[in-house]
Amino acid sequence: MEARTLGSVELTDEALCQRVAERDEAAFDLLVARYQERAYRLAWSILRNAEDARDLSQEAFIRLYESARSFGGRAKFSTWFYRILVNLCLDHRRKNRRWALWTRDEADGSGESLLDRQPAPGADPVDALGRERVLSSLWAAVDRLAPQQRAAVILQVQEELPTAEIAMVLRCSEATVRVHLHRALQTLKKTVERS
Amino acid sequence: MANHPDRDLEQFRDLLDDLRHSVPAVPDVSWGRYRAELGQKLEARRARRAWWGRPLPLVLSAGLAGLLLVFAVWGGRQSGSGVDLMTLEETIIGRRLGLLQQYSVVERLDLLEELDVIRNLDHLTGMRES
Repeated sequence: MEARTLGSVELTDEALCQRVAERDEAAFDLLVARYQERAYRLAWSILRNAEDARDLSQEAFIRLYESARSFGGRAKFSTWFYRILVNLCLDHRRKNRRWALWTRDEADGSGESLLDRQPAPGADPVDALGRERVLSSLWAAVDRLAPQQRAAVILQVQEELPTAEIAMVLRCSEATVRVHLHRALQTLKKTVERS
Repeated sequence: MANHPDRDLEQFRDLLDDLRHSVPAVPDVSWGRYRAELGQKLEARRARRAWWGRPLPLVLSAGLAGLLLVFAVWGGRQSGSGVDLMTLEETIIGRRLGLLQQYSVVERLDLLEELDVIRNLDHLTGMRES
């Protein structure tokens, strides 16, 4: 758990959130500074769209500001905040599913949408051979997973959350998270074997 | 499926390592601009909430709701005491009962019309010749 200073006092995320509930602007600014990169990275990993990731991560901070009073402190602040963010991202994806179907290019019959085939900004499309190619196709396959599976993989691999926390973020049981992960990893393994 | 999460994911250890070591880079963000935008959005949200909290919008909303309620109640009373469409239809049908008793004649009306045309055929032919 991180602790930064607000004045001369070191405050945890949870304590900062309590202050945000009392409309302490400085505490809110500190929480934003502490979580902005993580929030943006997580949103981008789920959405793969820079503008949407920015909008939705900002919306998550606004929701945090508005509903800080409802944070009971039973869970970690990060879990509670990730839950807000991941729900926003999954809702957004659900709403845009129809649009994704419209953008699906049926000419090559690959079943991938145009958006899916956009290379990830970090992966170099010139690296068309060997391991780089395999890893690139691996993350492209992550992008095509079902939303819940994809979120579970990203929270596990990228955010390194334990299964119990992923379950809290996704509002499901630990067993369900394990099923999501198992199925997702099986799909990814097949992708690696094919490539 | 195994009960222990780590044991369950053990078979995918290499795959998970590959994923961890190849996490795609996130696009660069200007955090100053990001926070400025967030501040603007938060301010706009606050202003919107404050506007709805003012007396005028509250009075307008309450007035509109009241008006809708009055229309709903008034409409209900009208349909209760006023002329019902079903009653009107039944009255009209009742008045035409005599016609329905002669339904066999009504059925043949088109036939009678044709007969009328046939009777006038000679007249039509005469008109053409002249």
